[in-house]
Amino acid sequence: MTNTQIPAVRPKRQVAEAAPAPRPSARERGTRLLAALFLAPTIVGIVIFTVVPIVGSVVLSLFHWNVIDSPTFAGADNYREMVTDSTVLVSFRNTLVFMVLAVALQLFIALTLALAVNGRMPVWLRSVFRSAFFFPLILSAASISVVMKYLFNQDFGVVNWLLGLIGIAPVPWLTSENSAMAAVILVYVWQQFGFSFLLFVGGLNNIPKEIHEAASLDGATGLRKHLTVTLPLLSPTLLVASVVGIINALQVFEQPYVLTNGGPGDSTRTVVMVIYETAFEQLRFGEASAVGVLLFVLVMAVTALQFRLSRRFVHYQ
Amino acid sequence: MTDSHFSRRSLMRYGAYGAGAAALAGTAASWDRLTGADIPGRDDGSLVVATLGPAYGPEAIRTLTEGFKKLHPDIKLRINAVQATDWSDFFAKILTQIAAGTAPDLVYVATEGVQLFAQRLGVALDKWVKRDADELREYFADVHPSLVESMMYEGSLYQLPVEFNAADIYLNSQVLKRAGASFPAADWTRDDFTTLLRDMKKSSGSQFTPYFWTNRLWGGVVPWLFANGTNLLSESKAPGGAWLWDSFYPAADRQGRGGGYRWTTPQATHERVEEAYDYLASLIQEDLCTRPEGGNGQNLIGVFSTGRVGVTPAGGFWAGGLNLAGMKNGSFDVQYFPRWRTQRMQFGAAGYALLRTSKLQDEAWEFIKFASRRDTLMRLFETNQTTPARRSMLTADRYREMGPNHWQVFYDTLDKFPDTGPIPAPPQVAEVEQVLLKHTGTALASRRSVAPALRRMQSDLEKAMERDV
Repeated sequence: MTNTQIPAVRPKRQVAEAAPAPRPSARERGTRLLAALFLAPTIVGIVIFTVVPIVGSVVLSLFHWNVIDSPTFAGADNYREMVTDSTVLVSFRNTLVFMVLAVALQLFIALTLALAVNGRMPVWLRSVFRSAFFFPLILSAASISVVMKYLFNQDFGVVNWLLGLIGIAPVPWLTSENSAMAAVILVYVWQQFGFSFLLFVGGLNNIPKEIHEAASLDGATGLRKHLTVTLPLLSPTLLVASVVGIINALQVFEQPYVLTNGGPGDSTRTVVMVIYETAFEQLRFGEASAVGVLLFVLVMAVTALQFRLSRRFVHYQ
Repeated sequence: MTDSHFSRRSLMRYGAYGAGAAALAGTAASWDRLTGADIPGRDDGSLVVATLGPAYGPEAIRTLTEGFKKLHPDIKLRINAVQATDWSDFFAKILTQIAAGTAPDLVYVATEGVQLFAQRLGVALDKWVKRDADELREYFADVHPSLVESMMYEGSLYQLPVEFNAADIYLNSQVLKRAGASFPAADWTRDDFTTLLRDMKKSSGSQFTPYFWTNRLWGGVVPWLFANGTNLLSESKAPGGAWLWDSFYPAADRQGRGGGYRWTTPQATHERVEEAYDYLASLIQEDLCTRPEGGNGQNLIGVFSTGRVGVTPAGGFWAGGLNLAGMKNGSFDVQYFPRWRTQRMQFGAAGYALLRTSKLQDEAWEFIKFASRRDTLMRLFETNQTTPARRSMLTADRYREMGPNHWQVFYDTLDKFPDTGPIPAPPQVAEVEQVLLKHTGTALASRRSVAPALRRMQSDLEKAMERDV
């Protein structure tokens, strides 16, 4: 049994056959009341800090507002402008490309390292690796990006200096449209993979040893064992890691903002960068909110799609 | 057996929990803690001045508050040092404060934001300047009219400049020596500059970049556009301003002055603009210059001071910066930007803008005057972290310890080149700057990329300039 919170597929209700629900007893009512009391602070927090801003953004997206003057009603103007603005469209494309590559790389590295750390290794060394891999995640993304900007500098960066030692010519990591996105992805993945790594380590520990032993007795070895036993049993963890990873990747901001400021050209400009620039630099809060609403819809759609697909690919013991 | 959900024991237990929670909440609520109301000067009728945090440390804030208190003990003052990475970030934070209803009375604004604030938020200082003309005569006599003009908008004056920085060229003396090159003449040309870069490259290793620059509005491509007799946006002067020029400047200095700059039609596809980009792209191809990164050039001081960079555009602010990085007087020097078709140079200036929302406008004016006084600026700019707007402050004494030897270049950039002007910063500056940086990065990928990138820049600039802020 896993402890994941992913709901199992519910059978379709037999509406016609449904008997009227019995009236809950006083004990049940009291339990529900107590549960509601305990949940109330969280629900109030979610309403104030999540629901209200979302509704506010939707409303604001229907207005022109520059902070200084009063808002004026714009109807669908902001949305119309958004779909004809090449910068916005490119930022969505960049964000989707970033999401696919960064999340795939992040999950691959995290899973590979989790399998390696989970192998035959002294407990103390395992702890060292766990801490080391998780460490970048607790640092500020902006600070890391500032340091990485130095490391990836074409003329003076350590990365090109190291490449030079093996005879590779300097790469314009942050100043070429061909390599800037790769640099941003590398920095992002380096910082983020620790989270997925910890999830996978936990997931691997939950797989009963007997199943692996049985597979070994059946003649499965190495890679085959991982493909046929480990991965299917790890699929709920993979789902959680990919959902969280995708939601985070769709909202990436600090790394491209600090490393390349969205450039060269628009090659690393992401949706959240466009929202920030449009709102706080160009004072077009209505247009920025419209982009924000579209990003919200995109995140919801991608997450819903993942859960939909999980019915086919996720296996619960 | 009752039907009640709670047994007596449960009731007692939950009651105890509830009492405990209430006690904790009561303790927390009554705890002596900091709130927004504890900020000195908050909501107590103080004059609030927002400054760019990194440029104003605790010492500077003390200088301003104590000095102002001596002069005006009746006016409470609060300096709000807003932390920001650059001017656009700073303006964004100020505008957020305005949106939140906590607008300061005065904001320290650089050229990048002068017209935005003037058009949308600022109060013209004309009536106070006229009223206190006698008091201000000494100030204007000490400040170059180009700096004053850069603070005007549509005929009115919105700020008194207290500092500026022109894009001159800094040279690393050790690198010059290694290249066997002499210090360039004041009237050196673009070709002299290219030759110097080649000499530097020849005499240094692969880990060396002769010319390093940052992709930004100030000190990026713009100095080259100015040198080539062009600009990103067509430049003209607004009418008016005679009330100021006639009152404070002699006839020679009034020549050609107007009511402030107007930057209007984008001209990114102008052949001279293309020429400038083409030249920079050729330097990159030849390995004489870096492919420019964005940012504020923070990483530049380190590489310049260690001799991995030969020359770079910077202003008076670098004299202090290089000294802090450990560079001794004599290990670097400064010269004018090289001549191309012209030797017009660019600058950015800064001063305090008074916001329309201020209820303390007369008090704010007193602060503006105090902040532009010579004794105030002498205390504020002790470490040469900028170029003072007052000519009289640039003396041999000021630069004797830390250099550079040719410190006169800083103010002579204005005095000897009266056509030197501000970076193009219309009210739509944020979008203009973003478009410039975006397409500059692409344009310089190769010489073939220049024309298509400039066409896209032109189109985006046209859109940006059509928009009302």
